[in-house]
Amino acid sequence: MPIIEVNHVTKEYQLGHISSLKENVVNSYRRLVGKPIHKRENFKALDDISFSIEQGEVVGIIGHNGAGKSTLLKHLANISKPTKGSVIVRGSVAPLIEVGAGVNPELTGRENIYLNGAILGIPKKIIQQKMDEIIEFSELEQFIDTPVKRYSSGMTVKLGFSIATSLDADILIVDEVLAVGDLAFQRKCFDRMEDMIKRQGKTVLLVSHNIRQIQRLCNRVILLDHGRINMQGEPQAVCDSFYEQNDKKIKANIDHTKTHTIASGEVELVELYFMDHAKRKVDSLSYNENCSIHFKINVLEELEDVTFGFGFHTTDFLYLTTHNSEEQLNINRLPAGDHELVCKVKRLPLLPGIYSIRFGITAGQAARDVFYGDSLKHFQVVGDIPITIRDGFFALNAHWMEKNINITETAIISTVVV
Amino acid sequence: MIKIVKNLYDYRELIAALVWKNIVLRYKQSYLGFLWAVLKPIMLMLIFTLVRSFVGIDTGNIPYPILTFAALLPWVFFQESASEGVNSVTSNAALIKKIYFPREVFPITAMVTKIVELAISFVILTAMMIYYKMMPTVYALWVPAVIFYTMMVALGISFFGAAINVYYRDMAQALPVVLSLLMYGSPVMYPLSLVHQKLIVEQAAGHWSNNLYTLYTLNPLAGIIDSFQRVMLKGLPPDFEALYPGLVLTLVILPLSYMFFKRAENWFADVI
Repeated sequence: MPIIEVNHVTKEYQLGHISSLKENVVNSYRRLVGKPIHKRENFKALDDISFSIEQGEVVGIIGHNGAGKSTLLKHLANISKPTKGSVIVRGSVAPLIEVGAGVNPELTGRENIYLNGAILGIPKKIIQQKMDEIIEFSELEQFIDTPVKRYSSGMTVKLGFSIATSLDADILIVDEVLAVGDLAFQRKCFDRMEDMIKRQGKTVLLVSHNIRQIQRLCNRVILLDHGRINMQGEPQAVCDSFYEQNDKKIKANIDHTKTHTIASGEVELVELYFMDHAKRKVDSLSYNENCSIHFKINVLEELEDVTFGFGFHTTDFLYLTTHNSEEQLNINRLPAGDHELVCKVKRLPLLPGIYSIRFGITAGQAARDVFYGDSLKHFQVVGDIPITIRDGFFALNAHWMEKNINITETAIISTVVV
Repeated sequence: MIKIVKNLYDYRELIAALVWKNIVLRYKQSYLGFLWAVLKPIMLMLIFTLVRSFVGIDTGNIPYPILTFAALLPWVFFQESASEGVNSVTSNAALIKKIYFPREVFPITAMVTKIVELAISFVILTAMMIYYKMMPTVYALWVPAVIFYTMMVALGISFFGAAINVYYRDMAQALPVVLSLLMYGSPVMYPLSLVHQKLIVEQAAGHWSNNLYTLYTLNPLAGIIDSFQRVMLKGLPPDFEALYPGLVLTLVILPLSYMFFKRAENWFADVI
């Protein structure tokens, strides 16, 4: 039997304010005399959503802002009730919807641990047993008896996360909490989440804008769009589809707003295009094929000591490569006028996916920036990849081998047995 | 009713933790601490005693200050529980939006918090009784029942008011006004025996008198305050004639109020 069942759930919100007394009176009068009443517009935050989750599944929910992710979690945590349909949850739920919801600024860290434990339904005995562990995890030993109002915001969140994850519930509902604290603490949180998922076999529902995290932790992903399930299934496929959607959105935005660049006014980027190995102008590139990238620029004022640089990045601005012309191209003087720069790439190592390109120009002895732009062009890398390469962005030119050829697989097993 | 008790039991640790939080918060960083809790009944007692010296209120053989303090004790408990209870849901909006537990925990918590203050007032009442050399009788065993009844009345108002207050904040504004009016309609400044004397014995309002008296005792606080004074100070059993109209009213209102609250609860997180 599935641990969570969501059957045709629809949630409507009324737009605008709660009706005032006057409106109520007017509406009841109209109802009495049989005239149509003024109804406020409804907004469907969730629109006929159905799915079920089995025990031990880790399900990610992704989607754009306003797609209904948090609303869905609120229904699973029993905080909101659906307008239509039903939600059945068989098991105890630990809602981590926004960590630190119950943290009170006037109380000390230790007092807050007790209070939050009670709010999350952890028996006092268990909290007392786990107290040291919670304090240790939160890294706040020194400040635990200080009121939380004197904590930094990072410290507050650390405290909240430490309490919430010490909870022993069947189902964990997590809304964007892994992005807490500094990097080291984030790492710790992530490890703890993984531990709960992989070793304790808990059912977890995760909402995050960090798609990579979702891809890594989940075994199923649901993509929401305007309150409907757009796609669900295998993380890789769903996330890719989401990236594509995102990409379209970003592309559309770029077409509208040109100003993604910083320019000193001495140079303009006129055109940026790709050519494949057969010297054809293309919009997408092929994995493991040669290609070239062309930058047409218009120099308005003469430049000295010019260096060009470009790089690939993902649509969420993870810089993958940078390549500049410093030692390959020596331009002491670049006169005004149109110029075209070409960078040839041998056997493009980028794995199939959607990427973007950035480009920059520096000039002068001090290498001041005269032009820089991110996300100048979005493009797709296509091609088939061998089975040896699974996830990531790059193909590595690498090869597996066994060093001692005399040891066969059976021999290894027998030594283990001995 | 059974549901309330069950929830009260299931969520006893949560209620205890929230009560403890409320108390700690109120008196943290305050120098006088718990003394503030009893300042209100003491101040009112002093004012009433002063007023009484001008107008003259017959209190029988019991000194006026202790009589009015004994009236203020359940009254202030009721008033504070009800007004805190009505605000309790809206003031915990952050929790309501994030975590689910039965929402009646909030009004109940508000009320239980006030019990602590009530207990401190009891200490003062005891001190006054020692000063006036009054001995409690066996009838003092009625006190828990009277307090329990007061709690039910306060909850009846809290549940309904708290639910309304989520939708219309007018409730929180209106309640203090209504309650301060109700204080004059309750035997706080004057004893119930005075009302009884005027209406039942003297029939001051003609043939309306008996009905008026029933109407007066329909206010549960009339019965509560009178009973409290009788069992604590006078060494008499509660006067059931004064109690039952209010008790009937409470028994009707409390379940309705609770049902209303539970129905409205579903939309708290969306509206608050």
